[in-house]
Amino acid sequence: MINEAIKEKLRTAVGPENVLDKDLDRFGYSYDSSFIPLLPANSPELVVRPLTTAEVSAVMAIAHEHGIPVTARGAASGRTGGSIPVKGGISLSLDRMTKIIELDERNMMVTAEAGVRTIDLYNHCAAKGLFYPPDPASWKMSTIGGNVAENAGGMRAVKYGVTSNYVMGLEVVLADGRVITTGGKAIKNVTGYNLTSLFTGSEGTLGIITKVLLRLIPMPKARNTLQLMFPSLDDACATIHGMLQAGVVPASAELMDKMSIQAVARHRKMDIDPAIEACVIIEVDGEDEAALAKQAGQIKQIARGFAVAEVRIAASPKEADDIWAIRRGLSSAVGAMAPTRLGEDISVPRDAFPEVVRRIKKISEKYNLPIAVYGHAGDGNLHPSVLCDLQNPEEAERVHKAVDEIFAAALAVGGTLSGEHGIGMTKRRYIADALGEDGVVALKAVKQAFDPKGILNPDKIW
Amino acid sequence: MTTNNTRDLLKEVKDIVTQCDRCGTCLTVCPLFDVKDIEASSARGKNNIARAVAEGGFPADAGVLEATNFCLLCRTCIDNCPSKVKTDEAMIALRQYIADRAGGPGVKYSALGVMMKKRNLVKLSAGALKVVRKLGLGGLVPFGMAPTPFTREQYLSRFAGPAALAGEAPVTRATVGGDAKVAYFQGCGMRMMFPEAVADTLAVLGAVTAPRQVDNVCCGLPHLAHGLREDFLALAKENISLFADADVVVSDCASCAGTLKHIGAYFAGDDAWREKAEAFSAKIMSLSEYLVKAGYKPRQRSAAKMTFHEPCHLGRGQGIKKEPRQLLSAAGEYVEMAGADTCCGGAGSFHTDYPEVAAAILEKKRVNIEKTGADIVVSECPVCLAQLNKAAQKSGGRFKVMHISQVL
Repeated sequence: MINEAIKEKLRTAVGPENVLDKDLDRFGYSYDSSFIPLLPANSPELVVRPLTTAEVSAVMAIAHEHGIPVTARGAASGRTGGSIPVKGGISLSLDRMTKIIELDERNMMVTAEAGVRTIDLYNHCAAKGLFYPPDPASWKMSTIGGNVAENAGGMRAVKYGVTSNYVMGLEVVLADGRVITTGGKAIKNVTGYNLTSLFTGSEGTLGIITKVLLRLIPMPKARNTLQLMFPSLDDACATIHGMLQAGVVPASAELMDKMSIQAVARHRKMDIDPAIEACVIIEVDGEDEAALAKQAGQIKQIARGFAVAEVRIAASPKEADDIWAIRRGLSSAVGAMAPTRLGEDISVPRDAFPEVVRRIKKISEKYNLPIAVYGHAGDGNLHPSVLCDLQNPEEAERVHKAVDEIFAAALAVGGTLSGEHGIGMTKRRYIADALGEDGVVALKAVKQAFDPKGILNPDKIW
Repeated sequence: MTTNNTRDLLKEVKDIVTQCDRCGTCLTVCPLFDVKDIEASSARGKNNIARAVAEGGFPADAGVLEATNFCLLCRTCIDNCPSKVKTDEAMIALRQYIADRAGGPGVKYSALGVMMKKRNLVKLSAGALKVVRKLGLGGLVPFGMAPTPFTREQYLSRFAGPAALAGEAPVTRATVGGDAKVAYFQGCGMRMMFPEAVADTLAVLGAVTAPRQVDNVCCGLPHLAHGLREDFLALAKENISLFADADVVVSDCASCAGTLKHIGAYFAGDDAWREKAEAFSAKIMSLSEYLVKAGYKPRQRSAAKMTFHEPCHLGRGQGIKKEPRQLLSAAGEYVEMAGADTCCGGAGSFHTDYPEVAAAILEKKRVNIEKTGADIVVSECPVCLAQLNKAAQKSGGRFKVMHISQVL
């Protein structure tokens, strides 16, 4: 319970205009983009919106002193409930910390505050020919702090990796308000434990990330898009493996199963041959057009070896956009097929992709639930979408069983519970299956060390 | 959209807002969130408040009404939403639901509704504003509702180009659909605030057709938007009857044209009126849409540098984007403005309800207009024009504001 005296301290710390306590305003900070029900509302007692690290530090010192839960938040575009203040307390919204502090062109690094939108950061760097590759689907609205806290992925992960591959250092406010910096601009840095990696993907449970230092790479000069249609999912996956083994590494390789393709076809009023079982959309990038043409030719040849039905190489940026529109329209097209779309996020070794898709199809039949499968085939990250109506209790029970089995299937083929969305609230009950009891104990020991009072984003991850 | 039964309204709201995936795309485009960045200001915030109300999480009280009213109904969120959640329809339905439960939308909107429902009161107000403007007392009327006129004559004397000097350009006598009977729909805003533009609309229309003038009533948008749906439906019926003989109905107000085009949908469940309403909606055209279809050529090409502010109800509301730009390119030196289709903050009575927020939105528009270096910002909606006039005043005369009919 945050009493009036504490509220007054917080108002003094960040300015009264940056503290919200009306019912409707607090409600606005009770949800994210996960399928956690809106009601009963997980409203925070107070929304606090600091503008500087010093203010974050002051807020944490107050929260620590009084044992108030604090849940950090960016744009609340997360999919696993990571920013939902499930224990009430303070919703610490960092979306007003929006400064890009430094673009260090010589070292090819950028320093930004947590609330900078990912696309703004990308554009800022791109204007100087520098490339920040991670591109989560939410990058237009999500914040870089949230990306780091959740270790967000994206479509380009197959070639360029995920957020953690670019984080060089962080500024973090600890649970009691002390401020530390981790890492730095030195490329080689093995002094002490790697706290940068530890905080990246910690989902707001170990500290409040206020600034990030990211490395950049030169912007590829040219890119192009290919669309491949396969009568067999195995052949689609085999083509991707063949490409990677041959040294052709696309920037992204997205796969959609038949249900996904047909959903888009319906949504966009297109006609796609029902014999097509899989569609792969590939982006290649490189030095110049000749390099792209070479890669496209190699991909086409490999795909022919695996009975591809159709290969389309974009002849113009407009055609490339048209092809990507199919992938970008997928989420809403699939979502439009049922009252609830329960989108999951599992990650498996690349070669297990067809096997886990087969297992998911069986789960779909067993529970009589349509499940569309699409994902980043190039890196083994899948998004099975269970199409259902969670307001129907009987169906909801089947859905939960199906989801249990989807996670079990991922773990059985050597995969894991999350590729890019984190654990948050939605996958807590599976974590021991993935890490083992001792693994969880080890994680909890880390948590205990950083947050002995357990005020940072409680009830998340485990 | 067929009944004002309160339970149905809440179901209508719920059906719309449960489509929201809460992804946050709208946060990046909502003009209100841009100036007041609190979740409840955004489309996502409002949709989820509406959902909570529909699911019993919040009473539909004054706080909810306040949140619901705080929407420009500009549809920018819908344009950008992956799931195309119709936030504007949800907000309108929720306002109606709350008004029905309270026995009306409150004194202010009830009075506004009564005024705009009565032809004579609208005309009386128009007359009063005319006198006020003639006396140069427009500044005394709040919210810029009596803008200083900048007439076509003033425009021509300042920006007359070679074509104008050589006399009037040849008139193109094109028609839409042969001998179609064309009628003019005069909106209340145009009647009250821009009678000089109305005269020019009639002159422009007169170049391509013989427009019938009908003593029409309000399009009903103010009523629909603020919990007076019955009044909206009554006005719609009256207009449907008044224009029964016309083949084409042209309005130079984007909000009127946009509303009238949608009337068919509101009578879908009414056997007596459905067909008539659909037929009526099918013959509505906005002015620039009609002029392009009719092959109209501007009366002259002037030396003025022009930019266009695209009314939400024209571009997003009706999909009319190319036509006004095409016409303006023929009438002068046209330059596109950054964020031309961003709401100016006028939005019906929004700028009178939330003057500070509206002013903050308008300020961004003013900067964008000035960056174009245009002499004139042109629009096709009286509320936009009134709002833009405030920006023109603030700019210290760097640009003028005109209705499209005045420069063609």
